[in-house]
Amino acid sequence: MSFLNPFFLFGSLALAVPVLIHLVRREKSEIIPFSSLMFLLKVPKRSIRQQKMKNLLLMALRLLILALLVGAFARPYMTQPERPTAGGNSNRGTVMMLDTSYSMRYGNNFDRMKSEAQKRIDGLRASDRMAIIAFNDSATLLTQPTTDKSALKGAVDTLEPSFGGTRFYDAFTLADRVLGQFVGEQRQLVVISDFQKNGWNRSSRESVIPIDVKAETVNLAVKEWTNMGIDSVSVDQTSFTRTYSGRLIARIHNYNKEKPTEVPVSVSLNDKEVERKKVIVSANSSALAEFTGFDLPLGFSKGRVRIEAEDPLKIDNDFLFAIERREKLKLLVVDAGKPKQSVYLRDAYTSAPDLPFEVTIVPASGLTADEVAKHELVIINDVARLPDNVREKMDERRKSGQGQLVILAENSDPGWWGGYEKLPVKPTQKIFVNKDRGKPSVSLTTYGNHSIFKPFEKSTRVALNSAQFWAYVNVEPKPGAIVLAKYEDGAPAIVESSKNDGGMIVFNSTVDSKWNDFPFKTSFLPLFHEILRYLSRYNEGRGWYALGDAIPVVGGLETAAAAVIGPTGERQALGNLEVGQSKFFTPSVPGFYEIRVGPDTRRVAVNPPASEGNLDSMPPEDLLASVQQTKGESRQAGFFGAEEKDDYARRQMGWWYLLLFALLAGMAEIYIANRTYKTS
Amino acid sequence: MSTPIVEEKPKNRFIDPKVLIKIQNLELVARTVVEGFVQGLHRSPYMGFSVDFAAYRPYMPGDEIRRIDWNVFSRSDRLYIKLYEGETNTRVLVLLDISGSMNYGSAEPKKIDYARILAACLTYFAHHQRDGVGLLTFDTEVRTHLPSSRRRGHLLTILSEIDRIQPTAQTEFRKPLRFLAEYLTRRGVIVLISDLYDEPDNIIAGLKALKAKGNDIIVFHIMDNFELTFPFEDMAQFEDMETKRKLHVIPEYLRTQYLVILKDHMERIRKELSGARIDYCLMDTSKPLDAGLFTYLAARAKSI
Repeated sequence: MSFLNPFFLFGSLALAVPVLIHLVRREKSEIIPFSSLMFLLKVPKRSIRQQKMKNLLLMALRLLILALLVGAFARPYMTQPERPTAGGNSNRGTVMMLDTSYSMRYGNNFDRMKSEAQKRIDGLRASDRMAIIAFNDSATLLTQPTTDKSALKGAVDTLEPSFGGTRFYDAFTLADRVLGQFVGEQRQLVVISDFQKNGWNRSSRESVIPIDVKAETVNLAVKEWTNMGIDSVSVDQTSFTRTYSGRLIARIHNYNKEKPTEVPVSVSLNDKEVERKKVIVSANSSALAEFTGFDLPLGFSKGRVRIEAEDPLKIDNDFLFAIERREKLKLLVVDAGKPKQSVYLRDAYTSAPDLPFEVTIVPASGLTADEVAKHELVIINDVARLPDNVREKMDERRKSGQGQLVILAENSDPGWWGGYEKLPVKPTQKIFVNKDRGKPSVSLTTYGNHSIFKPFEKSTRVALNSAQFWAYVNVEPKPGAIVLAKYEDGAPAIVESSKNDGGMIVFNSTVDSKWNDFPFKTSFLPLFHEILRYLSRYNEGRGWYALGDAIPVVGGLETAAAAVIGPTGERQALGNLEVGQSKFFTPSVPGFYEIRVGPDTRRVAVNPPASEGNLDSMPPEDLLASVQQTKGESRQAGFFGAEEKDDYARRQMGWWYLLLFALLAGMAEIYIANRTYKTS
Repeated sequence: MSTPIVEEKPKNRFIDPKVLIKIQNLELVARTVVEGFVQGLHRSPYMGFSVDFAAYRPYMPGDEIRRIDWNVFSRSDRLYIKLYEGETNTRVLVLLDISGSMNYGSAEPKKIDYARILAACLTYFAHHQRDGVGLLTFDTEVRTHLPSSRRRGHLLTILSEIDRIQPTAQTEFRKPLRFLAEYLTRRGVIVLISDLYDEPDNIIAGLKALKAKGNDIIVFHIMDNFELTFPFEDMAQFEDMETKRKLHVIPEYLRTQYLVILKDHMERIRKELSGARIDYCLMDTSKPLDAGLFTYLAARAKSI
């Protein structure tokens, strides 16, 4: 047993105080001359003895309370039972840690590792026990401590190199836990690894391996190693044009420390090479290979960037990515048919060829319900009213995912729009700021943290409040409607329909220059792009993930079953996903994954961690020095695993019991003292 | 000097013993007390005088030489004093306990001082009643014996002796009382002033023997207030003032039993003395002396 606050033990000196007082008072107690002890001497001795006994008991109880309190404040904890020294038992208990990270694929490293492991199993005596841990970026206990050599060998035989990175610390932590199972045995630790430098996080300074463990390392690192690999690929996950107009950039890394290397780099889609070029990469450096202008088939394509390098670690020579070519979003702009009424809108959505919108502008007078039905996005740009069948069609299409932006302004009939039940606002009157508010204009202020304002969050150049409005239609938000932006006088400016009837946003000023100067401001285009992006529920995903990343799976328009189909065709069900709900899955092998949510399907590519391509190793002694305790060192509480934390907490529980006993002793003291005083 | 003090406290006819103890002259103390006491009484019916011959007795140191019957001396060659009936209305002998325990006092006055004043008052009072007054001090032995006399100078001798006494030894009633029983030939009033720290049997047996000789006996049991209530709180060593023996005492634990034993002791003495028609008066040294004087007067009335 030891103490967390041993200085409190000095408090036990307080125990001496009552005893000393007793002794001093006994020796130096006041002498009172009294006429005669005749009557005092006649007091029965038994009674005096009883009083003395009660006194002694009370004193003992009080001392006990003091001692218990001192003990509780010193925070005792039970140390782990002392392990018998190695000399006590000649049997050995060994934990063998085998590195299965993907860097072990280098040359024949993995086979060498297996061979070394087999040798150590063969070297075991009949009574020796061994446990095997396989580790990469996580650690797995392959076999519990056993003397069964065939079981141990079988476990080693079945090992395959993984695609994971290297994390030594987790493996050592598990090894420490397993070593704890060897009681009375000579404890040994064997680590067979390439001791990749990247695998040791220098911040993990906790010493987890006890000092009495004899550690042996088998270093499989290759001294003169060479490797070329692709660190990363930058590519848009979605293209709305047949010819990819973005840039695909691959970062090629040459780990050779001495000579530059020229390497051919190719891009293939669906196993068909679309472009190839040669890149010269300096020694111990990286270079970029850029591709563009290749054609994309409609839908998802499995992309691959490959370098044709002759190095012993092949797996990082390929890099996978997923890319989707989508049709442009069909956008219908309905206006009152006035000249230049929708010109700024059209320009905003068609200013660049790679913008994902295909814009059709029609006047309200010629609008049919079929026209509305054909489009994925509809903007009603300041029209007096809509035909009833158009309005009904809009309500129907909104339920199937159509995004609708309604602009109420100069031409809108507040009476008619006020009667539109599904509109999230009720227009009341047209406000002319100069006349009605007594100031020349008002500006916009965002209200809430909505994704349509994402471009303005960090930008200092693009400010929403730079636009000035001198007229707008005053609206009253209906229950459930969400006000996204307001004018500076407090009137709502952008309102979204409720979550239950989503898919519609209302803007209550013109999008030409009649009521404001918004179209001339830099904030106009990003805001209206983001509004449509939001209404179309279009989310740009990532083209690829690294092994170990958590990949999000997001719910669609309605609750639907979600599943992930792995590279080898195995299916992992994720259960039902509510609207907007997210779940995550973590892939275990690289390759293409298909994510299905209801009728929607998307693909993502998963690559091994690029860091494993760097095969620089660290001296095994340095690693051991980092993880093995030195004399006098003890572990710190903050570095325990959950199980050990529980155990540690349990071993510190002593102070609770001491306080409890002190309380009980206090109650006993009160009871006895009361009785003593009553009888006296 | 004394009158203004009395007048200052009209409700308290008797002077607080704490005040009396500050007066160094014992005669003055006695006169102060007695005159204050007498002023409050009706005229005493017990005053009287006679000159009838009563008896001879051997000469004792302190007797006046002029009282020696020289005729007897010429015939027998021994010194005798001639006693007359009319010489005293009655004889009062004060037995004063001067054992070590009498030196105790939780506050002023000590028991011995209180006893001194009481004895002085009684002798002074008796002397002014024309009674013969004597004094016998004792602890384990008779230390001083001044036989009763009505002479004016005798009172001063007694008061001087009372003033001089110093308590030291233990209390032992048996021997002094036996001596007195053998010595006293004429009946009178015997006043015992003591804290009675002896076995009740010893005290009662001796007093009964004196009573059997026709004496009227008054016992003044002098006790300090602390002896009666035992109000001590802290643990201490109690030292016996007679034997010097020490005892560790936790008062809070022993108080009850001490008081029970003391009460038993006093109750037994009171009952036994009452049975033998002996007056018993408990005197708390924190209280004035009037009770003592009244008790004395009542006893003297019986003896005449």
